[in-house]
Amino acid sequence: MFSRRFDMGVKVGGAVIGAVATIVFLVGFFGVRNDVADVGYRPVQPVPFSHKLHAGELQIQCQYCHAGVEISAHSPVPTTQTCMNCHTAVKAESPRLQVVRDSYESGQPIEWARIHKVPDYVHFNHSRHIRAQIDCKSCHGPVEQMGVVSQFKPLTMGWCLDCHRSPEKFIIGARPISGVFTGKLHNVKDLLDSAYIFTPIPAQVGVSRPITAPQFGSYETDIPPLTVAGIPHPKKAGRGPENCSTCHY
Amino acid sequence: MNARKLPILLTIIVLAAAGFATLVFLGKITWFSEQPPLEFLRNMDLQFKSIPQSGNTYFSDRKSLRDPVEGTVARGEQPYQLGMGDVDLAESVNVDPNLPKTEFVMARGQNRFNVFCAACHNYDAKSQSKLVKRGSWLGIPDLTREQTVALSNARIFHIMSAGQNLMPSYADKISVTDRWAIIRYLRTLQGVEGVASIAPAVTTQAQ
Repeated sequence: MFSRRFDMGVKVGGAVIGAVATIVFLVGFFGVRNDVADVGYRPVQPVPFSHKLHAGELQIQCQYCHAGVEISAHSPVPTTQTCMNCHTAVKAESPRLQVVRDSYESGQPIEWARIHKVPDYVHFNHSRHIRAQIDCKSCHGPVEQMGVVSQFKPLTMGWCLDCHRSPEKFIIGARPISGVFTGKLHNVKDLLDSAYIFTPIPAQVGVSRPITAPQFGSYETDIPPLTVAGIPHPKKAGRGPENCSTCHY
Repeated sequence: MNARKLPILLTIIVLAAAGFATLVFLGKITWFSEQPPLEFLRNMDLQFKSIPQSGNTYFSDRKSLRDPVEGTVARGEQPYQLGMGDVDLAESVNVDPNLPKTEFVMARGQNRFNVFCAACHNYDAKSQSKLVKRGSWLGIPDLTREQTVALSNARIFHIMSAGQNLMPSYADKISVTDRWAIIRYLRTLQGVEGVASIAPAVTTQAQ
């Protein structure tokens, strides 16, 4: 009915369109998924700060700079004052720290590039997770080995729920370097050993129980009585709640 | 090149590229990027609201967190009133709350000591930390020496709160209760009974 050439054109055209559509679908489906696109985000920071040096080699603990993470929803990026606690004397003339010194004199905060961010319709409470003795590494990866920090986990909803449903598979227990308060004493001789500092204490996970009441997700944590007023007491990590309103506004 | 081998070579290259792309898309290989993540459908990921410690175009100084009005104290905040030189006042102003003598309090003191003090003073308070050994700081005193042991609890509280010599104030970082817990723990590292300290044999319990 049609000419041979037209027939051929339809076939080739169809094949090309099919191939392009397949590629677009694959790239679209996999490529823009957050767990692929977000992991490895490594922005250039205004100051070339190395966690590998400060946390890894000098063993300055996470909470020295990110102080207040155990009482606050937002994990604080350190103030310029925190940098200047040491850098008034250490490397006081370094040209790389010019931004820090300028900020200290002017009072204008340094605008660090934010790496880990959940969407604005999600609230995440750091203190709740730190007080469940969940180590920073569980979500942020081995920061003490990162010269330039990059995002380590996808921070997608599925990723959150995986851990809320079966925390025992994912949680890394508190490491001494994180400064996560566990309510237990360390042996001082152990602390002087560098390997011990980076070794997680086996995570204390509470008992899970089947979903009965409340209806949408259940969780069980041993909440000890407030032993001393003013000291945030640790809890055991248990199954996280799965209500919509747990994470969403 | 032989014209026959060209298609084979091309096939290998295409397959390798496809395999690499597949691994990246599946998240098996981390693709580092300095560019912000792609958001195919932004929905309400970025809303016009203040987020702590993020830049904010609404204010001229771009701070989301607003400075408190001058002369005001936030609810629950306990600012330290004395300056670095008010050593004599410190004895009478700082009253030891006598925290209960439990392992919980000791552990808290150890935890906060390791976070805020050990960077310089080291975990055993002998001030030979990684930072000091590197030669960055000079003249950091050994906290287990006699002069420091002789200081009263109130005086040590004053040093932590107001600073001393090169050491800055830590009043903004460590809460008042935690500072007293640190003193309790420091006394055991020194191996002495301070005004309010428990027996020094607490550091023997391994985790």
